Amino acid sequence: MRSDSEPTRWRGRVARGAAIAIGCAVILAFPAVADNPYMLTVGIGILNYAVLATAWNFVGGFTGYISLGHAALSGLGAYGTALLVTCAGLPSFVALFVAAALVTVLAIPIGAAALRVRGASFVIVSIALVLILLLVFQSWASLTGGSRGLVVPRPFPALHRAEHHRVFYFLFAALLAMALVAWWVIDRSRFGLGLKAIREDEDKSAALGIATFAGKLIAFVVSAAFTALGGGLYALWFGDLDPVFQFSVLTGSTVVLMALLGGVRHLFGPLVGAVIVGAGLEYGKLEFGDTPLHLVGTGVLLGGVVMFMPEGVIPALSGVLARWFAPREASIREVTAAVLLDSRREPPPRSASGEGPAEVDR
Amino acid sequence: MTGRADARARGLQTTELTKSFGGVTAVDAATVSFQHGKVNAVIGPNGSGKTTLFNCITGMIRPDAGRVSYRGDDITGKPPHRIARAGIGRSFQLCRVFARMTVLDNLLVAVRAPGLPHQLASAHDRDTIDRARGWLVRMGIDHLEHAEARNLSWGQQKLLELAGVLMAEPDTILLDEPAGGVNPALIGRIGALVQQLNAEGKTFIIVEHNMDMVMSICDHIIVFDRGRPIAEGPPAQIRSDDRVLEAYLGV
Amino acid sequence: MALVFQSLVLGVLLGGLYALLAAGLTLYFGVMRVVMIAHSAFLILAAYLAWYFHEVTELDPLLSLPITVPVFFAAGVAMQRLLLARLRPATRTMMSVLLTFSIALIIEGGLGYVFTGTQHRIQLGYSGTSLELFGARVAVVKLIAFALAAAALLALYLVMMKSRFGQALRATIQHPEAARLIGIQTERVAGYGFGLGLATAAIGGTALALDSTIYPSLHWRWIGPLMAIIVVGGLGSVPGTAIAAMVLGMLMSLLQIPLGTTWAQTVFYLALFATLAIRPQGFFGGRLAKRF
Repeated sequence: MRSDSEPTRWRGRVARGAAIAIGCAVILAFPAVADNPYMLTVGIGILNYAVLATAWNFVGGFTGYISLGHAALSGLGAYGTALLVTCAGLPSFVALFVAAALVTVLAIPIGAAALRVRGASFVIVSIALVLILLLVFQSWASLTGGSRGLVVPRPFPALHRAEHHRVFYFLFAALLAMALVAWWVIDRSRFGLGLKAIREDEDKSAALGIATFAGKLIAFVVSAAFTALGGGLYALWFGDLDPVFQFSVLTGSTVVLMALLGGVRHLFGPLVGAVIVGAGLEYGKLEFGDTPLHLVGTGVLLGGVVMFMPEGVIPALSGVLARWFAPREASIREVTAAVLLDSRREPPPRSASGEGPAEVDR
Repeated sequence: MTGRADARARGLQTTELTKSFGGVTAVDAATVSFQHGKVNAVIGPNGSGKTTLFNCITGMIRPDAGRVSYRGDDITGKPPHRIARAGIGRSFQLCRVFARMTVLDNLLVAVRAPGLPHQLASAHDRDTIDRARGWLVRMGIDHLEHAEARNLSWGQQKLLELAGVLMAEPDTILLDEPAGGVNPALIGRIGALVQQLNAEGKTFIIVEHNMDMVMSICDHIIVFDRGRPIAEGPPAQIRSDDRVLEAYLGV
Repeated sequence: MALVFQSLVLGVLLGGLYALLAAGLTLYFGVMRVVMIAHSAFLILAAYLAWYFHEVTELDPLLSLPITVPVFFAAGVAMQRLLLARLRPATRTMMSVLLTFSIALIIEGGLGYVFTGTQHRIQLGYSGTSLELFGARVAVVKLIAFALAAAALLALYLVMMKSRFGQALRATIQHPEAARLIGIQTERVAGYGFGLGLATAAIGGTALALDSTIYPSLHWRWIGPLMAIIVVGGLGSVPGTAIAAMVLGMLMSLLQIPLGTTWAQTVFYLALFATLAIRPQGFFGGRLAKRF
């Protein structure tokens, strides 16, 4: 007895397809509807968060490692892009991809070192990475501008502000789409299944032949690539970099909060989380001004998610929806008992090699 | 004579394998040759080093000294996944399955698919699913295909674990206490399954305490005590060996 | 040469303070495999409380210890019982990071809201004075801070080594299952272990307040070095951590001469990366240290 029947699955697919279509429409129509620079900036902020959260989720969702240090990668992407434009004179978008490529290559030894350890040490390393980069970028003022900040020339100097925002809105949307597609491809692939097995039980998956270290490293490097692209695109859009904001454990953990809130095991989880938390932060700023209370709010939200909703919003929501739309399902034990009763009533025919339908076990 | 030497060369064997933990020597210069193509058993009192032996063979633990070879290749200290890919599968003493994955996915994980295009292809393709379903039917848990592994009973999880190991198509299978905590009917079924699979060409090495099962299905038994083999041979010989009685009863 | 000696002495004093703070941090990990990022936030909270106590009562901030230490101890027990014990064991380590991080945010935000972001510094009668110690000029407040840290560490040592509770604590750290089997109530012991950890934060924070300028986001400057120290010393091992703290404290102090304060701080992170690359279970912990 299968636990979901054909009509239910078809219904589920239609619902998901409709949701995705509506989501795309909303994202694409937003700049036309919210036509002022402030709203566009908020929209870009949320898309930027969504890119970073989805990129983070290559590691968090597929390997189960919680990295609080992804700000290191986005910060390096941002500064890399900025420095390639200002010092090396590369055109903006060439710099963006070159910087991202450099960070991706750098992520190989970093990931190799960090992933050798598990659990607590990994988190400590990820935080340490952000903190040391913060120190370095603040101190090396001759190269990075230190605390004075680094100004990045705009890629399209002819555009005025609203146009500039609109172009970058769609650029961020495109980057988000790329990240989502990549995540989806991995999610349904054999490689992705292997990663999920590593997340469940690393030693057991090794015993089944899965190259656990290589798998984790690849997930980390792909995550680094998208994170660096997000950071670099931000640098091109925002135009001004400060180490305190680029190498911030707080920003990194806000991104983690978004992924967790939405649901790390789901494609759109980080996006949903980014929308909710991003909008919430903006609202908080409007209502209460830029006070330290937003730290308290973030803390409470993060703590609440960890304690009460560690799987995120999407599973909770789909659980509710499933109860409304799906037929009542008996528990596994009941099914087993029922089938057992059936099989006890009429012993099944056994073939000569003993390979007939076997008895059900309790 | 040379025929037998060939067979041994093709099988799994350890040479002077040693592993200590702190002051305790779990495996003490153990030299063992398992018979390829047969059902082997490793028996012995608790603490005699059987599971540590398995862990050293499968790469989960690095031995302090000695070698492990399989089919003539030295696999000592290699990473676990390479040893698995060499054709050695294992089950665990405390049955390990992927708890939050479905029963079907638990099997799909074991598919060997080298090369980038195969790795990026969908995990749920028709042929693989059919093969997996075949194993589930053979184990009798096909009706639980979409259930999460953590919702299965202990016995069902043991069958699931075994199905997963078999899905990877190993030549040699190490079973660590397959009858542990399992009802007699299921023990019988597992025993029958081992014999069927052995007839199909798979080599088994079983660590077990259940003497009925061991004596009834095994061709070659190795007795371990305090980290080293003290006797080996067919069941009839082992049953009447004084050294074995001494090891178990301390007499 | 005099400069080097001066730096060494300062390094020892600094190392002592680091040792006390890191001891608490490693204790949380030892009893529950929890990475308590909020430890440094509680440290700053204690510093603020000491400063506030001094502002309101005009008394020496050290006199606030009889209040803050028991309160922090109780808070530690409460945190372990009500929050951390509720996390699922399978993902506890990772989730505890996020949970304690959220507590740190709440503390930082709360402090910023109540006391604003203005930097504060305690001014005492003896704040500016210094002593001659074998040719080195040492500020009196640094000596007091060191003395406080040393006394607290000694007390911690005595509790852990000589008392029944300490024995239970060490057993829980070394092997929780075995401890449970011989009848130790590991949950309760873990709670008290947490309380001890936060108590060290109270003492350390008060010591810190004597000599530093405090502001809400100061905890970020401490959590990095402290985490590095506990990894280098060996996660879960209090003596290992103390040694690592002294070594790294002295090293940092010496490196300040050629490199300046900011670059000298990188020594903690470099030591951390080196440890994880060469000997992930830490250098000084011995068999007590855990690998992760």
